[in-house]
Amino acid sequence: MPIGESMTSAELNAVTCGGKFGRIGRRDVLALLAGAAAWTSPSHAQRSAIPVIGYLCPESPGLFASRLKAFHEGLGEIGFIEGRNVAIDYQWAEGQYKRLPALAADLVARNVDVIVAPGGAPVALAAKAATASRTIVFEMGGDPVQLGVVDSLSRPGGNITGVSSLSVEVSPKRLEMMHELRPTAAKLAVAANPTSPTVNTQLEKLRSAAEILGVRLEVLMASSEKEFEAVFAAVTKEAARGLVFTSDPYFAFRSGQLAALAQRYGVPAITQSRDFPTSGGLMSYGGDFVQSHRRAGIYAGRILNGEKPSDLPVQLVTKVELIINLKAAKSLGFEFSPSLVSGADEVIE
Amino acid sequence: MEVQQGFRSLFQKYLLVLFMAVAIPLAINGVVEAWFGYRDQRARLDQLLGVQAMSAAAEIHDFIYGITNDLGWLVQLPWNDEPDERRRTDALRLFRQAPAIVALTLLDHRGLERLYISRIGLNRIDSRTDRSTDPAVIGARAARTWFGDVTYNRGSEPYLKIAIVGNRPSVGAVIAEVNLKLIWDVISAIKVGKTGFAFVLDRPGRLIAHPDISLVLRGAEEATSRPFQAIRDAIGSAGVGSATGRDINGRDVAAAAAPVSGPDWTVVVLQPLSEAFGPIYAALKRTAAILAIGTVIAGLLAYALAHRMTEPIRLLEEGTERIGAGLFNHRISIETGDEFQRLADSFNRMAAELALAQEQQERIARLKRFLAPQVADLVDRTGDDGVLKGRRTEVVVVFCDLRGFTSFSAEVAPEQVMSVLSEYYEVLGRAITTFAATLISFSGDGLMVLVNAPVPVEEPALRAVDLAVEMQRSVQELIVGWRSRGYRVGFGVGLASGSATVGRIGYESRFDYTAIGSVVNLAARLCASATDREILMDAEVAEGVGGRRSVIGLGNRQIKGYDEAVPVFGISFDTP
Repeated sequence: MPIGESMTSAELNAVTCGGKFGRIGRRDVLALLAGAAAWTSPSHAQRSAIPVIGYLCPESPGLFASRLKAFHEGLGEIGFIEGRNVAIDYQWAEGQYKRLPALAADLVARNVDVIVAPGGAPVALAAKAATASRTIVFEMGGDPVQLGVVDSLSRPGGNITGVSSLSVEVSPKRLEMMHELRPTAAKLAVAANPTSPTVNTQLEKLRSAAEILGVRLEVLMASSEKEFEAVFAAVTKEAARGLVFTSDPYFAFRSGQLAALAQRYGVPAITQSRDFPTSGGLMSYGGDFVQSHRRAGIYAGRILNGEKPSDLPVQLVTKVELIINLKAAKSLGFEFSPSLVSGADEVIE
Repeated sequence: MEVQQGFRSLFQKYLLVLFMAVAIPLAINGVVEAWFGYRDQRARLDQLLGVQAMSAAAEIHDFIYGITNDLGWLVQLPWNDEPDERRRTDALRLFRQAPAIVALTLLDHRGLERLYISRIGLNRIDSRTDRSTDPAVIGARAARTWFGDVTYNRGSEPYLKIAIVGNRPSVGAVIAEVNLKLIWDVISAIKVGKTGFAFVLDRPGRLIAHPDISLVLRGAEEATSRPFQAIRDAIGSAGVGSATGRDINGRDVAAAAAPVSGPDWTVVVLQPLSEAFGPIYAALKRTAAILAIGTVIAGLLAYALAHRMTEPIRLLEEGTERIGAGLFNHRISIETGDEFQRLADSFNRMAAELALAQEQQERIARLKRFLAPQVADLVDRTGDDGVLKGRRTEVVVVFCDLRGFTSFSAEVAPEQVMSVLSEYYEVLGRAITTFAATLISFSGDGLMVLVNAPVPVEEPALRAVDLAVEMQRSVQELIVGWRSRGYRVGFGVGLASGSATVGRIGYESRFDYTAIGSVVNLAARLCASATDREILMDAEVAEGVGGRRSVIGLGNRQIKGYDEAVPVFGISFDTP
């Protein structure tokens, strides 16, 4: 679905041209001057001359590569290219979400021009807690209003705005799809991260959906990689016919690991991230992270160009994608219904 | 000084008039051209923006009708009571095709909900809720296609509900919820010129599509939509064509609108005036530049022409001033080959004639010294002193002097001598004037007078005799007085007639008129030999009188310088 992609590119052409070139021109000149000054003290000069983005990342560079690429694309559409007219100060939490508040505080102390908090509600909340004055651009799957990150979608208020991928919103849809795949199952397992800020609302929605669908839920908790195996083991043990992952960045970034475990345990599972079926998992349903990270990049660029975060409404991604892996289905010994296949945005054969 | 000022103002007048003559038509032409250029461009802009608006409206229309067209496929087959898996597959396929659709509701012929599928929420299959009273269903049944009002999902994303029914009741109806955020694709692709763009307002005037998605996501807010409504209203009140106004960034824009039928929206295209009127501004700048250059050229031309016109006048003025000051040899040099040159030439001719006239005047003034006033006047009137040219003519020469004057002058005081001479010449001068004789010279007490030259008179001899008598009479009157004072002087006159050479003699400004010949000598001798109270004349004079006066023959007398004795005549006159 190319609509979301092209929207971002044309968006800034139409809207931000006016101010953009002027500013970039000035920045270029400043960068050039800084380059001259950098002869003696390069690091200092670079810092003071070109804007700096503080990039607060919950994971390691390897796991975040695809998201970071999308972010860079978004920045590039506004005219910012890392190393040329913008510097990015990365803080990697390496999957230890408890470190996020400290890293966020660190970025605030380093006086960056804008803090980008991608990859989920915990990151946004850590950044928001760290500063009330520095501008923050978030990227998350949850509902920023419900999480108290912003006042409303159209008027975020304060120093924060960003993009929501709707992944949390569609958790019940994953249960529905798993139910469609296993229509006769009386019991389905749900994996949740107890440390996630959205865990309770997701489980609540899932339970009411299960009631409508007429299935029982076996909720399994995992908050670290060590616990993953136990989850899959429990699915088999509890005779649940399928496993539905709640939306959680920790799970999403470990799609490869989860896909391998699903294959090993022969568990049909659905997650939020397309990385899961592409790594051999069965299927995924969730917001398009390429679109959401790209838009986060655009917002970061627009803020560097002087726009106020309160004037930038929170954007919801327009694309929620269904990816199915026919090979995985075959190895699990069943077939997708024609309606699922026809509704899939991408089919891996 | 005054002359100088007059000259200057004439130059200024010419300069102004000539400048105006060039600059005004140029300015009028420039203004007219600019005005028509503006009108043409304005009309073209109206037309262009109108077409752009229509084309944009067509694209928005296509977007909406693309969706309704897709929805049409879901209302093709009649419903029965069985669950219909195929319809779900079709609906899911439509989801993939039409990303803007977020939810679909399929109703059967009784208006019961048979299928609800959503991208976000849970699907409902065969819920059989009665939706027959839903305004969407009623609306669609009335007009086949029904468009709801735009709603803002969570106060941010604009959504539109579309309902359509099939071509017969048994196929039921479909209601779709469309996320209008995706019109962005269409709207952002519409370019008006370089920086112009389009936006869409719904019926109440809320912003539902704009290249800046941030504005659309706040479209539900009155504050966001108001400036856009203002543009739409401005176009509405301007009637057909385009209107001008301010956009949210405060730029002046030209805008045109076109309706999107069906959902009853308005598409507005706008273009910054700076860009839309770019060609006009360029043309105006060109015109201004041409005007400026033209004005400079007009100024230079006017200066040159005014200078050319006033320069001869200045030369004429200067020339006449000089000529007026008496410099008659001054010549005005104007080679313009026109009336000015002609005028200068006639000035020069006038100066030459004036010089001639003055010369003659001076000559005549000199003549008056020795000519009788009547003669002088004559010469003056004729303006010709040709009469003074040397020639040989018959004249009567009259000489007179006082007897015993030398001894008298030695005896008395010079004042008395001068007083006597003064009285003497006064009476003689009066007599000479009376008889229109020509005074040739006087020295001491002697006087020489000429009759019949330079101007011939009638009866010269008679006139000369009468003159001599008058001289004797008047001087003798004086002598009576002198004698009473003890001065012993007498007075004698001699006349002779004959041919003599008369003419002007002298050098440069000192000229005299004189007579040369033996007749002069004879007259002088006769005068010398005349005693007091005596008038002696030669035979020729006596003959000339011809008995009209009592001339008495005095017999021959021996005259100095003459070998033979000359017959001499006298005349008696009454003495006081």
